[in-house]
Amino acid sequence: MQSLAWIEIIGGISFQLLPVWIALILTFGFSIYYKRRLGLYGKLFDSTIGMIGFAIVMFWVFSGIFAGIFDWIITHDPLHQVSGMKNKLPGTPMRGAEEGEYPYYLFGGDHLARDVFSRMIAGGTVVILIAPLATLFSFMVGITLGLSAGYYGKRLDTNLSFLANLILAFPVILLFYLLVTPEIRATGLPQYLTVVLFAFPLIFIAVLINTRFQTTPTARNIYLTLALFIVGWAYISVINQPESKITLFNSIDLFDIDGGLLTVFVSVVFVNSPTVFRIVRGLTMDIKTRDYVAAAQTRGEGAWYIMLWEILPNARGPLIVDFCLRIGYTTILFGTLGFFGLGLEPESPNWGATINGGRKLLLMYPTPALVPSFALMSLVLGLNLLADGLREESLRD
Amino acid sequence: MVKNDTLSKDSQHILEINNLSISFFTRLAEIPAVMNFSTSIEPGEAVGLVGESGCGKSTVALGVMQDLGVNGRIVGGSIKFKGQNLSEIDEQELRDIRGNEIAMIYQEPMASLNPSMKILDQLIEVPLTHETISKTEAKNRAFEVVTDVKLPDPERILNSYPHQLSGGQQQRIVIAMALMSKPSLLILDEPTTALDVTVEAAVVELVKDLGKKYGTSMLFISHNLGLILQTCDRICVMYSGEAVETGKIDTVFNKMRHPYTEALFRSIPLPGADKNDRPLVAIPGNFPLPHERPQGCNFGPRCDYFIEGLCNSSAIKMASIEGNSKHFSRCIRTTDITWNLKRKATQTTDKTPPGEITLHVDSLKKYYKVAANELFGTSSEMKLVKANETISFDAHESETLAIVGESGCGKSTFAKVLLGLETATEGEVRINNQNIEGIPIEKRDTKTVANIQMVFQNPFDTLNPSMKIGRQIVRALEVFQIGESNEDRHNRMLELLDLVKLPHEFADRMPRQLSGGQKQRVGIARAFSGGARIVVADEPVSALDVSVQAAVTDLLMEIQRKEKTTLLFISHDLSLVRYLSDRVVVMYLGHVVELGTTDDVFSPPYHPYTEALLSAVPIADTNVEKQHIVLEGDIPSALDPPSGCPFQTRCRWKQKVPNNQCEIEVPNIKHLSKGHYIKCHLSDDNLEIMEPVIKIRN
Repeated sequence: MQSLAWIEIIGGISFQLLPVWIALILTFGFSIYYKRRLGLYGKLFDSTIGMIGFAIVMFWVFSGIFAGIFDWIITHDPLHQVSGMKNKLPGTPMRGAEEGEYPYYLFGGDHLARDVFSRMIAGGTVVILIAPLATLFSFMVGITLGLSAGYYGKRLDTNLSFLANLILAFPVILLFYLLVTPEIRATGLPQYLTVVLFAFPLIFIAVLINTRFQTTPTARNIYLTLALFIVGWAYISVINQPESKITLFNSIDLFDIDGGLLTVFVSVVFVNSPTVFRIVRGLTMDIKTRDYVAAAQTRGEGAWYIMLWEILPNARGPLIVDFCLRIGYTTILFGTLGFFGLGLEPESPNWGATINGGRKLLLMYPTPALVPSFALMSLVLGLNLLADGLREESLRD
Repeated sequence: MVKNDTLSKDSQHILEINNLSISFFTRLAEIPAVMNFSTSIEPGEAVGLVGESGCGKSTVALGVMQDLGVNGRIVGGSIKFKGQNLSEIDEQELRDIRGNEIAMIYQEPMASLNPSMKILDQLIEVPLTHETISKTEAKNRAFEVVTDVKLPDPERILNSYPHQLSGGQQQRIVIAMALMSKPSLLILDEPTTALDVTVEAAVVELVKDLGKKYGTSMLFISHNLGLILQTCDRICVMYSGEAVETGKIDTVFNKMRHPYTEALFRSIPLPGADKNDRPLVAIPGNFPLPHERPQGCNFGPRCDYFIEGLCNSSAIKMASIEGNSKHFSRCIRTTDITWNLKRKATQTTDKTPPGEITLHVDSLKKYYKVAANELFGTSSEMKLVKANETISFDAHESETLAIVGESGCGKSTFAKVLLGLETATEGEVRINNQNIEGIPIEKRDTKTVANIQMVFQNPFDTLNPSMKIGRQIVRALEVFQIGESNEDRHNRMLELLDLVKLPHEFADRMPRQLSGGQKQRVGIARAFSGGARIVVADEPVSALDVSVQAAVTDLLMEIQRKEKTTLLFISHDLSLVRYLSDRVVVMYLGHVVELGTTDDVFSPPYHPYTEALLSAVPIADTNVEKQHIVLEGDIPSALDPPSGCPFQTRCRWKQKVPNNQCEIEVPNIKHLSKGHYIKCHLSDDNLEIMEPVIKIRN
């Protein structure tokens, strides 16, 4: 069989991505049609920049989801090595392809004879799963602490800000190296960090429900019990690991997360939350001078009600924009970590590790390194454009 | 550049605006902000531009400066400055005119000054850019101009940064900067809105004098008719993007020929009139949004004289009034309407007599400790700010007690202590015989909290922008433990909306969908939701347009009568205070300087500060003659109050008190009549000779 020409490669890839195109067209058609009713999200479709960013981001989200859940799009197992496919150029026909197997390596093979295209898509799945989640957790930590520091001020603010500065002053990469070192992991430090950091979403949700339904105790108790049960169980399952420092809840442990992944996750939350903390703190200090906050105070509302229901919703604009940007930073951070081989398993198809794998033969076989690089760049670019679009549109009307 | 060379003989006008139309382009549509606007300004003339917010008056000013931003564009008509069409000349010529021949003074003085440049450098920048002039000359001129705007110690002022000056001083510098190049046209866009009344009076006085001295023409933009009366020769009333009436001040004030102008005058309280004889009449309805303007007369839907088929058939043109070729009105019924009709109150409401004492304040003191150095302050370096100094008064059920004073007088601190956001340093506050001065709000029981509520000043800030109106009121009900079930509370919320005369649909709206007046009504509904006995209203209408002010004020009074609430009305608008309050407390630098019934306080003998305040209030009535008292200087800082009487630094009666007593000791309370006292050293003889500040000519 002959190798594919570039035009055929593009055709083949486009065809593989067909579900993504359909999903994108449906999303855009629906959103543009109803854009006047969709608030800020709808306004996004008035800005070209925002739309381009959104399209790029959604491309990776859809391909990640379809590949991760339905096993669509990817042509070969991203970990599977096929003999004779080592360092092959894009469009090389697969040697000894069996019936039902995709007969080409669309983006060629890497130094371990794995399909570059499939690894790119599979790497997207990892990022789409971890980056937003890690950012969300950083936001919960940052918001909880930032609100209280900004609202109460004084000593609490001084201490928390100092702590935030301390974390920010420490070199990130060094911190990661420290946290993933086997000796440090053996002491259980990353796990204790998990215990602390993952407690914030729990606190956040509990306080949110409590303040909202404080005046109707029965409803409050029901919702609170329900939420605490679900989130609490998830919390316990996350922090509990058999054969580690915390094995107290082995009997009710629902699932285990790979230790390396968890460490990376926690480290990312740990270094991201101080920045979120600062933003939220600043916004809170501004918003707390508004009359509606004074009105809430004069009717005797509790401090946490004011923070979560009077201040936080009105800080959402800048926070949404920052959330988009921060997913981008997190993606880069994950890439960096993968590149250094920290945390995730070495053969996992994450983009950073793949770039590292391909860099040694970069001059002769550029595709294995370039493909994930462009993937990473395009996702981050998309997120930045999306953030720009959102910022622009939220200021205009 | 030689000035005035372009002023040809045939064009007498400094500025001539002809059928000007300005539109803003948004993503949805073109929004016409100004339509067919024409006016002209002669040399040395001052023209006032009046109208409510959103009527396009500032847009006209920006149009003249050719500074409409990215969205705005002139879509029709012309602006001629000294015969030169401003939209036809290029950027360079425009720059020569801006700041040099046309100068503009904005509302916020701090925002108009560069905070990182010394005053002197900012001032000399103007002539250095526009003229070939040496630096020394420019400096000399700066010195001259700063002396002209009556700033004390020009040397020191020129060497300071903007933040080192007070608001009043900053505004004077902005005026000085505008005068640096001796412009032929000065545009003032609400130049005193951000200032206190006494400071405002001084600045207005200054602008008027300088206009005469330099022969500058002025375009004075304001929503305050009283200010326009004091400063301008001619007036132009705008409504919804159009000029509706123009003419000489006297003519328009006394023989108005447009229903909107008439309605405006009816809705502002004038000190010369009695509230039963001349009740406030609010303009019904709302200001039309630019894209929802009605056909025909824009004011039609709100007008009392509206005739179907006549007023809304076609666009209405400006036409001159019979017998006066310089008086124009955009109304086709000028000859049919009986103007200046006295309106009797449609329903006279008897004042409910004040009941028992609900609030008792006795020698209340509130001191703040401020560290001289934020970081390393020790107790020895602590400075004491005396925000409230021995405040004592009683307030009765269904009584309106006005608290009057300028910013920094301690009225907000007092409100905070009352509401429990701060605790008192000394003295007592009793509500229904329960002491609350030391109990912060978290420790107060629900009943006490619900009993004292507040209506806030800024309607755009009083509601949480991301919560539905209904939910905000229901939340207040929940907190005050009113209603058994959610349904119960929902119904109660709808009743409250009825109470403030808002339709039930508003429960599901977001605050941004409401106008300022409507928001303020929601704020009032929220304050009364727990059956409040005492409501503190902190300038509840000062941020609203005049036509809405009357409606909101009336509503507040009506609810108060119904609920028999004690209303503490904090305001600096003495006309309004006189209109609605039973008793008045005048505060200055934390002290109560005068207390008495409204009639006592508004007639002599006054406390010297009350006298100055009364004189400072601009009054939109040509029949009123005011005694002219301008206070020198600014309000001293509470951090560093003057010795003795707090008012002694600005008092014009100080010389009348022997032995410099004013500077030595704080005056004692001096009872003038039952329930009326002042804190002043003046002897009875001196108080005798005080004349009424406001006199009404017949």
